[in-house]
Amino acid sequence: MSSTTAAMSPPSLDLPVRGMHCAACVGKVERALQAVPGVVTASVNLATERARVELGPRPPALPELRAAVAAAGYTIPEEIAVTPAGREREQAERAREIARLRVRVIVGAVLSFPVLLGSMPDVFPWASGWLRTPWLLWGLTTPVQFWVGGQFHLGFLRELRHRTSSMNTLVSIGTNAAYFWSVAVILWPHAFMAAGGMPYFEASAVLMTFLVLGRWLEARARGGTSDAIRRLVSLQPRVARLAGPGGDRDVPIADVVPGDLLRVRPGERIPVDGVVVEGTSTVDESMLTGESLPVEKGPEATVVAGAVNQSGSFTFRATRVGRETVLAQIVRLVEEAQGSRAPIQRLADRVASVFVPVVLAIAVLTFAAWVLWGPPPAFFHALTNAVAVLVIACPCALGLATPTAVMVATGRGAQLGVLFRSAEVLERLHRVDTVVLDKTGTLTAGPPRLTDVVPAPGADPDLGLALAAAVEQGSEHPLGAAIMSGAKARGLALPPVRQFQATPGQGVEALGEEGRILLGNRRMMESRGVEAPGLQEAAESLAAQGKSVVYVAQAGQACALIAVADVLRPEAPATVAALRGLGLEVIVVSGDVRGTAEAIARQAGVEQVQAEVLPEQKAAHVKRLQAGGRRVAMVGDGINDAPALAQADVGLAMSSGTDVAIEAADVTLVREDLRGVVAAIELSRRTMRVVKQNLVWAFGYNAVLVPVAAGMLYPIWGLQLSPILAGLAMALSSVSVVANSLQLGRFSPSAADRERV
Amino acid sequence: MAKDPVCQMDVDPKDAAAQSKYQGQTYYFCAAGCKAKFDADPSRYVGR
Repeated sequence: MSSTTAAMSPPSLDLPVRGMHCAACVGKVERALQAVPGVVTASVNLATERARVELGPRPPALPELRAAVAAAGYTIPEEIAVTPAGREREQAERAREIARLRVRVIVGAVLSFPVLLGSMPDVFPWASGWLRTPWLLWGLTTPVQFWVGGQFHLGFLRELRHRTSSMNTLVSIGTNAAYFWSVAVILWPHAFMAAGGMPYFEASAVLMTFLVLGRWLEARARGGTSDAIRRLVSLQPRVARLAGPGGDRDVPIADVVPGDLLRVRPGERIPVDGVVVEGTSTVDESMLTGESLPVEKGPEATVVAGAVNQSGSFTFRATRVGRETVLAQIVRLVEEAQGSRAPIQRLADRVASVFVPVVLAIAVLTFAAWVLWGPPPAFFHALTNAVAVLVIACPCALGLATPTAVMVATGRGAQLGVLFRSAEVLERLHRVDTVVLDKTGTLTAGPPRLTDVVPAPGADPDLGLALAAAVEQGSEHPLGAAIMSGAKARGLALPPVRQFQATPGQGVEALGEEGRILLGNRRMMESRGVEAPGLQEAAESLAAQGKSVVYVAQAGQACALIAVADVLRPEAPATVAALRGLGLEVIVVSGDVRGTAEAIARQAGVEQVQAEVLPEQKAAHVKRLQAGGRRVAMVGDGINDAPALAQADVGLAMSSGTDVAIEAADVTLVREDLRGVVAAIELSRRTMRVVKQNLVWAFGYNAVLVPVAAGMLYPIWGLQLSPILAGLAMALSSVSVVANSLQLGRFSPSAADRERV
Repeated sequence: MAKDPVCQMDVDPKDAAAQSKYQGQTYYFCAAGCKAKFDADPSRYVGR
C-alpha cells in the first residue's frame, strides 16, 4: 500500500530553512524555490521553519536548492536529514539561539535603562544630571544599536545585496535613522540644536531592546508549539531487550527486525510494535491513544511502541519496526500536518509580500508630510513619526498567526488520539454542518452479536442454539457468524448436519440426525407449516428492540428463538448528543434493512437514517447531501467506506489502533471511541477561532497603528506614537499571537468532561 | 413413513421440508413447493 502510493505521488523534500522572521520571508523563499527548474511547488512554514518542495520528473540537486534559498537571503543548513540525531542537533541549535537572544535582551535592558532615564528629564526629574550627558547616552546606545540589534542590520545588508526587503529593512532603517540623527546632533550641535534638533538615543536603544525581547519571546514560544512532536519522539526507547536462548541482551532499536522476540519488564517502554507471545501485563497507551485507562495484555494481544508496561513482564514478537510502528506513523502524520498550510493563511501571505515596500512608501510620505506641514521642530517630528511607522508595521504577527495555531492544535490532537492529515483539514472540519455516521463498526462496535436465546416451552435451552450454529456453519451471513461465535462462547457441541439449503428471503435449512432443521424468519416457519405459539410474543418484543430474530425448528417443531443485534458503542448516545449540541445534523447510513438500522439509530438518538444503502452507494449519498449545500463529515472505519470518506468534505476514520495511516481519511481517530469525532470538531472550531482572532489582531494592529504612527491623529488630538511604544506594541503583538495559539494546547474536549462511559 | 399428498413421494416426518395441518391431520411434504400447492387447495389432495 505505502509503496505504491510512494511511487505514484510526486517526490517531495522537506527542508529546514533558517533566517525567516516574518510572513514576507515565507513568500520570498517559496518564490526562490519555485524558480529552480524541476521544482513543481514549494510551501514554506514559518512556525516549523521548514520548506516542503514538490519535485517534478527531473528534480534538481540539493545544492541548487540551497543556492536559490541563499540567493534570497536565507539558508538551508548542511544537516537536513530528519533523524533523531539531526532532530536533537536542531533542537540544541534552537536552544543556543534562545540563549543568545536572552543575553542580548539582558544587555540591551541594562544599557537602555539609563538611556531612558537620561533622555526624558520631564518624565524622570529625579534622574541625576550626569545621566543627561549626551556623550554618555551615545556611549550606552552604541552597543545596543549595533551589537544587541546586530542581526537586524546584518539581515538588512544581506537583503540589500539580494535586492529584497523584510522586517529587517524596516527595523534597520528606522533605528539607524534615529541613531545617526542623534549622533549628528551631538557632533554639530550648533547646526541642529538651533533648528530645534534633539538627540534621540532612547528611541534607538529602547526600541532595539524591545525588538530583541520580541524575538526572544517569539523563539521561546515557537519552541513550545512543537512540544507535542518532541514528546512523541521521546516515547521511542533506544534499546530493546532481545530474548535469546543464551539469555537476554540489549540491542539498539535499529537492529531489531520483525520476528525478533523481545522482553519487556515492568516500568519499561515497549520498543517496537508486536504481538505478545508469553506473559500478561497491563499497558499504559495513553500517550498514543489518549485513553487514560491501562489496557490488559495477554498472549496474542498487540502492543505498540511507546506504550509503558506497568505490572508484569512479557515477551512479544516484533511485527513492525522503525518507520512502520504506529508511533512513527503518528509522528509522521503530525509532522506533515504541522508543515502544511491552511488556505486561510494565503491571505496573510499575500498581504505580507507587498507589505514592506508599502510601509517604506508610507514612511517616506509621513516624513515628507511632517517636514512640509508639521509643527516645529518639523524635522524632529518627521523623523520620529517615520521611525514609528517603520517599526510598527512589521508583519511578523501576521506570519505567525496561522501556523502557530495549526501546530499547537495538531499536536494537542495527537495527544488526544485525533490525527489531522493537514492544516486544510482543520480548516474544512470547522465548517462542517452534517455528520454522517456509518452504522456498522462506527455507531456499533464491530459485527452483530448474539443477544438472546428464547427456548420454546419445554424445549432444551441449548438445543436451539446448537442446531442453529450447526446449520450456519457453512454460511457467510453476518447473522451466522454471530450465532456461531455465540454457540462457541457457550461451549456447545454442534450436531452433524448435511444437505444445507438456503431459501432467499426466508432462511436456511439442513438435515440433522434428529430431523430437518429450519433456521429462518417467521415467513419460513409459516411456509413450512411450523407453529410456534409460545414464541410469537417474544419474537415481536425482540424485533421491536431492533434485533434480528430467527426461529429454529427441528422435525417440524419450533425449538427456540435466536436474537442477534448490533451492539451500540456505549459512548454513542453521548457522542450524538454532543454533536447536536455543536449544532450539527447527524445522519446514520447503513446497509441494513430499515427496521434494524432505525432501531440502532434510535438507541443512539439519531432520527435521520438512510437504510439499505450498499457500500458503493454511500459515496453517492454523501454527494447528494453535498449537492444540497451541506458540508459533510463522514465517519467510518476507512475500509469498506473509503469512497464515502474520500467524497465527504472531511472523512474521519476510526482506526483499530494498529494502522493509523488510513489513506482515505482526513482525520484518524487512534482510539476506537466515537467521542474522538466530537473532540476533532471542537478542536477544529477552537483552532479556527484562534486563527481568526490572531489574524484580526495582527491585521487590525497594523491597520490601526500605522496611521497613528504616521501621526494622522496629531492634527485632531495631538496624539503621536513614540517609536518606543511602537516597538513595544510590535513585540507584544507577536507574543500575544503566539500565546493565543499556545492556549490551544490546553484544549480538552467537552465530551470527555462528561461521565466516562 | 408419510406420503407427500401432492407428489406422492415417501417422506420421513422428521426430515420433512414442510408440514401442514388440515382437518386435525398433519401432512408432510418433500418440499415447500408441494406444501404451497396443498395449502392453496387442500381438498384437491385429500379425501379422494
